[in-house]
Formats: sequence, C-alpha cells, structure tokens
Amino acid sequence: MSLAAEAFVSQIAEDQILLSDSASSLAVQTFLRMCGLPVQVSCCANAEYMSPSGKVPFIHVGNQVVSELGPIVQFIKAKGHSLSDGLDDVQRAEMKAYMELVNNMLLTAELYIQWCDDYTATEISRPRYSSPYSWPLNHILAYQKQWEVRRKMNAIGWSGKNLEQVYEDVSQCCQALSQRLGTQPYFFNKQPTELDALVFGHLFTILTTQLTNDELAEKVKSYTNLLSFCHRIEQTYFKEHDRESQSGSSRHSKGSLP
Amino acid sequence: MGTVHARSLDPLPMQGPELGVQADDMDLGEPEHEEKQEVLENKDVVVQHVHIDGLGRTKEDILTYEIADVFRAKSLIDVMKKSHEARQRLLRMGIFRHVEVVIDTAEGANALPNGLDVTFEVKELRRMTGSYNTMVGNNEGSMVLGLKLPNVFGRAEKLTFQFSYGTKETSYGLSFFKPQPGHFERNFSINLYKVTGQFPWSSLRETDRGVSTEFSFPIWRTNHTLKWEGVWRELGCLARTASFAVREESGQSLKSSLSHAMVIDTRNSTILPRKGALLKINQELAGYTGGDVSFLREDFEIQLNKTLFWDSVLSTSLWGGMLLPLGDKPSCIADRFYLGGPTSVRGFSMYSIGPQSEGDYLGGEAYWAGGLHLYTPLPFRPGRGGFGDLFRTHFFLNAGNLCNLNYGEGPRAHLSKLAECIRWSYGAGIVLRLGNIARLELNYCIPMGVQSGDRICDGVQFGAGIRFL
Repeated sequence: MSLAAEAFVSQIAEDQILLSDSASSLAVQTFLRMCGLPVQVSCCANAEYMSPSGKVPFIHVGNQVVSELGPIVQFIKAKGHSLSDGLDDVQRAEMKAYMELVNNMLLTAELYIQWCDDYTATEISRPRYSSPYSWPLNHILAYQKQWEVRRKMNAIGWSGKNLEQVYEDVSQCCQALSQRLGTQPYFFNKQPTELDALVFGHLFTILTTQLTNDELAEKVKSYTNLLSFCHRIEQTYFKEHDRESQSGSSRHSKGSLP
Repeated sequence: MGTVHARSLDPLPMQGPELGVQADDMDLGEPEHEEKQEVLENKDVVVQHVHIDGLGRTKEDILTYEIADVFRAKSLIDVMKKSHEARQRLLRMGIFRHVEVVIDTAEGANALPNGLDVTFEVKELRRMTGSYNTMVGNNEGSMVLGLKLPNVFGRAEKLTFQFSYGTKETSYGLSFFKPQPGHFERNFSINLYKVTGQFPWSSLRETDRGVSTEFSFPIWRTNHTLKWEGVWRELGCLARTASFAVREESGQSLKSSLSHAMVIDTRNSTILPRKGALLKINQELAGYTGGDVSFLREDFEIQLNKTLFWDSVLSTSLWGGMLLPLGDKPSCIADRFYLGGPTSVRGFSMYSIGPQSEGDYLGGEAYWAGGLHLYTPLPFRPGRGGFGDLFRTHFFLNAGNLCNLNYGEGPRAHLSKLAECIRWSYGAGIVLRLGNIARLELNYCIPMGVQSGDRICDGVQFGAGIRFL
C-alpha cells in the first residue's frame, strides 16, 4: 500500500503554537521525512479540538485521521513504511524505553515550564494560546488550559518541584541520551529511527525557541554530541528537501541552530 | 337586596337582556325581587369601589392598571363584562392561582342608590414551587430539578431555574422576567443558560453557554422582540467516523449577536388553527458587539388558514431564510439552516437535505420551504365531541430547497439556484393535538425530486414537535 500525498495538520499558527506542541509536531514531521513520504503542513487555530485524541499533531490521510507520534508510527507501518524494521527485539525494547524517557522527562518538563512557571505562563504561554479568540473567551480558554496542565502535574507528582529541579531533570535526561548516542550518527548506528525523530523534535525546538530565559537551551547545549546530532538531521532532512526557509517547522523565534 | 354573583363567565354574550350569568345563580326570590332585577339590568350604574382581597406580597400599584377599566362601566352588563376582562388580565400576569369576582351593591356612608362595589378575591401563588424529575432516554439518565419563583418582588417578576444533571451532560437555565407595570405586554427578561445538543445527522455535538437579554413590546398589532445574546459555543465530533468537513468545524467560538423579531399572529390557535394568519420575520446580526463570528441572518415564516366546507381547513405555509457571512471567514455549521424531516419537508430524514460530506449534513446558507395542507376531521368522526376532536386527518404537499449561494452573483442567479433541484413530497396522515403546544403526526409520505446525497424516509413517518411546516 502506498501513501498518497497527505495533509499534515498542527496547531502552528506561527504566533499561537507553544513549545511542547511545536516539539511534538516537529518530531512527526521529521519521522515522515525520514520515511521519505510527502508531507504538507497546514495550520489551524482549532487543531487541538479537531484531533481525535485532543492532542496535536495529527495527520490526515485520505479520510483517516491519526494523532500523536505513537499511533502515527503504527499507522505508517501498516501502510508499509517503517524505520525500525532492522532492529532486533532487544534494540526495539531499548528504543521504546528511550522514547518513554523523552516523553516523561522532556515533554513534561516543557509543559511544566510553559504552564506552571508563573512568569512564563503570563508572558508567553497564555497570550499565545489565546491569541485567535476574542474577549472574554481568550482568558477563559487560557486559564482553563493552565488549570488542566497543573492538575496533570499534580497527578504525576511534579507540582512539588521547582524550576531548578526541572532543569536538573532535563539535564539528566540529556545526559542519558548523550551517553546512548555516543559518537554514532544516529541512536541505532547508521539508520535513523523514530527515536531519532522524537529526540530531534524536542531538542531542536528547545534550542531554537526563545523563552523567558535561556537556561533550558544551555542545558542541552552543554552536550556537544546532541548538538551535532541536531545539526546533522537538520542538514540531511530539512535543508536538503526544501530550499526555502522552511527549517523544519515554524517556531516563535529564529530558525537556525546557534 | 339580592346579590348578583358574577363568577367565571365563559363566554360572555354581548347581546341585550340575556345575561351571561347562569339562571340558577341568580337569586330568584319573590316576584318583586325579579322585577327589581329586571329593572337593574339596563339601568345605569356607577361603580363606586373596587376591592382586591387576598393580597400578600403583590404590590397594589401594578394591579390598579388592570382593574382601572371597571370604573368606567355604565350598566350592569358593562360591569360584568369589564370585571370579566379585568379578571383575565389579572390571571395572565401569572401571579394568582385563581381570581373570583363578586359584584355587590354599594354599602357605606356615601353609597349611591345605583352604586356597585366590585371585589376581586384572589389567591396568590406560593412563593416558590419546585419540581424534581428523573428522565431516562437516549442511553442517558438524568435528574432534573426545577424551581419557580413567581412574583418575586411583588410586581409580577418571575424567576425560574432549571438544572439537569445527567450521566453524559449537564445543563442549566436561569431566567428572570419582568413586565412593565401597567403594560404587561412590554417586558424584558434575562437568561443564563448552558445547553448541550447532539446532532447525529451532522455527527456534531454542540455545547452552548450563554447569556441573553430580551425586550418585548407591542406596536399596534405586531409584537416585537429585541434581543442581545452572547454565547460561548463548543463544537465537537459526535463519532470517530465524522467527516473531515465536520471535524474542521470543531473548536471554540464566541458569538455575540443582536436580533430583532416581529410577529403578527391572528390565528385562533397555535396548533391546528382554523382561521387567521401568522407572519414572523426575524433578523440577527452577529459580530458587531464582539465575538468571533460575524454574519447577517434573515428568516421568515408565513402561514395562512381558511376554513372550507364541511369542517375542513386549508392551510398554506412558507418558510425561508438566508445567511450572509460578513468578513472573510466562512459561515459556521451551527449558524446554517437545515431542512427535511417530519417537521419540515416530510418524506425526508431529519435535516437530511442539502450539502453533505460523507453522510454528514452541513446545512446551507439559504433555503425555502412551502407546504399546503388540507385538514379534515377523522372519517366517520369517531369520538366526536370528546377525544376524537383532538385528531385530524391531513393531506399535504411539501416542497423546499436548501443550498449555498454564491453571494457575488446577482439576485437572478440566487433565485435560479434556489429554484433548481426542488425537493418535494406529498402524502396523507393523522395529526394529534397535544394541548395547545405540540402535535404528533403519523404520515404516509412519498418523496420526490430527491437529489443525490439526500436521505429519504418514504412510507410511514412519525413526527412530534412544536413547529411544523
């Protein structure tokens, strides 16, 4: 079965998307490019509500809609494209473990910084999230999202942490990834897998996003092999495939890596 | 002297010496009394006092307007007629459980020989009435709590609250109504509500939280309503299999709109009228008082009824509407018109006419629908005079069209677009009238002019509702 040209939808309205969604969206885009499939990105303010699971990004292929990286990988595999076929069972288990690590650590840290840190929430997250709506709906929706994320943080035990501890956790996660990567070009030697796509999505977004301070980006930059890993993937899959300014996706700061 | 009790007079005849009072209510004493009463019938009287007994929290100033007319009566018949009208006016305010009228000769120091005292004995409604129901249906159970406070501050204000807590959805409504003292038809109300709706024909779920204020006032023979409404609308897909066009409409939006409605209703009844006409014109402008959606919407409803030979009634109706999105955003699925079903063009499934995508009906920006009905009593008139009078047989012809217009073209192009691909149907059935509010129908329908994409329901179709084409 082959995949016809697909529409790939995410919440990118350039001035609306937040760090965590941008990272997830970039991860899916990278994965699809690694599979060699045609990708088209379209932006809607209501992408979060359009998605069947409530999370962005989601892909729309023919008349099927699939959201989030895990199900998308499964869906693409069912269509006959897979990046992790060459792995044996042990490696596959390891890959899943690392993907869980990224989701539990990096993604949660991103959410924490966006919504639980008051300064960031007030200066960046709430204004951006509510930008397409008019008063008073914009305030209602922004606060509703903030409460929802804070409740989730409570549930997983992160509400007791402060910002320093979160940065520490990010640093430890990056250390684990850095150690696994070592000097190899990709996590599982020569061929990229969905783990590479996921890690690239998050790290690249962190490095290129302007937050209220640069601590998060600094934590990542301190691991040079991760930095060169991001450069490499950017060069291979994004600069090569389109010559226009599209460095992967749009984010609310500047495009290239430092 | 004899007393004349004028109780619930329904109806009151207008001609001459025949009084509407039942003969056995009159105090027929000796012949001299009879003669006196006959004399009183057409003699000039003066109403000296009008009392209202039984007031608790109701303030008197609003009542003086309703009973003022009684003072102007000149003869006994006039007094009885005007007291009857005053009683109706007091009852329509919705603050009294019942009203009795007692007309007596005047007593007291300054009583004139032809003076009369009229007393209204009223019983107020209780301060608060509540109701509690449980409802089960549509895979959902819910508890419904209702509270009604009539006459809250003494001037016929009404506060109602309804709360429904279900396994799937929760909804509530709070409403405050205040009439202008002396002019009950001029009133305003404020509503606060949350309602949820599921529309399987579009695979759409809608939750509305809103607030609205409306003013109603009569002008000559028409009734006008001005309303401002602010609604937070949340749209979502009802099923995973919803089409992408409906998925694209999901999300949150805010609608803030001003609307005006004009109604002229000369029918003798809302359900199954025998004569009279109805004209309703409604316009809504959204977007200029805030909100995300911006449109101008017009719709109208006309109905004409005429009694023909042998107790049968011919009724024609015409509905139409147009939605014009202002600005560059396309119209929202929740604002568009829908057509089809047992309450509009019969023979088609509910709201299943017009533009659709993968089986989900998206509604249209312009529509018209017309109906021609002939209502007759049931053949052989079973149960005549009682239960059988609630039923009617009807023969109908319905037609309509729903489409999206390209507003760049002129009115000629619009008319031709609305005139092509007309769906129509004909058939016959039985109508049951429920009180003065609703009706049930069981029809045999034959749909015609079916376009590809429409869903039909030919054969037997059942319908229940308030507003029928």
